[in-house]
Amino acid sequence: MALTALICDDSLLARNQMKKSLPASFDAEIVTATNGMEALAVLRNQEIGVVFLDLTMPELDGVGVLEAIKAEKMDVFVIVVSADIQPEMQKRVMDLGALAFIQKPVNADKLGAVMRQYGLI
Amino acid sequence: MTEMSFTEEQRDCLQELINVAMGLASDKLARFLNTFVHLQVPAIGLVNAADIPEQFRGQYQGLNSSMISLGFFGDGGLRGETILLYQLDNAGKISALLGYDDDATSETEMLTDISSILTTTFLNGLAEQLDNSFSYAAPRVISSRDNDFISKLEQTAFHWQLALKVDIRYELTDYSFDCNMILLIPGEAVLKLKTILDNVLAEF
Repeated sequence: MALTALICDDSLLARNQMKKSLPASFDAEIVTATNGMEALAVLRNQEIGVVFLDLTMPELDGVGVLEAIKAEKMDVFVIVVSADIQPEMQKRVMDLGALAFIQKPVNADKLGAVMRQYGLI
Repeated sequence: MTEMSFTEEQRDCLQELINVAMGLASDKLARFLNTFVHLQVPAIGLVNAADIPEQFRGQYQGLNSSMISLGFFGDGGLRGETILLYQLDNAGKISALLGYDDDATSETEMLTDISSILTTTFLNGLAEQLDNSFSYAAPRVISSRDNDFISKLEQTAFHWQLALKVDIRYELTDYSFDCNMILLIPGEAVLKLKTILDNVLAEF
């Protein structure tokens, strides 16, 4: 069964950039969310294999989503895709269980390498 | 104003480019101040340049405020001026944190440094995403400990047609620091910017 991937970003441009940057060999259905609250609603209601998660968002930010994923012991891979590149933020999200941190604007080669590393493609 | 106004897609696109540019500026500020900067979604708005002084009157009138201007020039007619507005109370906190002496000369020096980090890093990040490159005029500290702040802002805004307001709140670990950044751009640069945004959008 193909995987379902969730792209969570408040920007339409960023969501489209993310979709377009996914490797062609990534066999997944894509669903989207525009803030952290929406992402959690999706995660609680359907089986999601991987989340591409922005950090700076209204309603609930990416750190809040990671905290909820951890607290609710959800079984999902999280790849953070963010413009907030401060080392302390990168450490914070990795400590909260993110698999990887990718700097915005997303680079398709970097994304492909990370996904290959974790067996997503 | 109609041909100048942005579609929702263009606004979203610009907002995201600004987010990325702000991320770069915040990272640099965090390293410079050796602290963590809490990033928020910046509010952006496009208004007539002539309305700018009135919009900031309430926030800055009667306070010790400071205004730093930086002109920028890009390829293809993309040019303008950024203004960074602060209350000096905030600037004083940063100044102390950076270890500047508490006198007028170092205050100017400090404001120029901070402006350079926030504005130049931001603009370089924005230019790169727009496939452009900017060169800069020397920064000018326009007003400091000056009650005539609004009229100074009026004189500056007078030269431009449109203003892109970016309200930024930098929350550092120990305190918060509000500043407003205004990008003043002439009408032809707005049209150029809209074309570039459409090109970015067409790629995705």
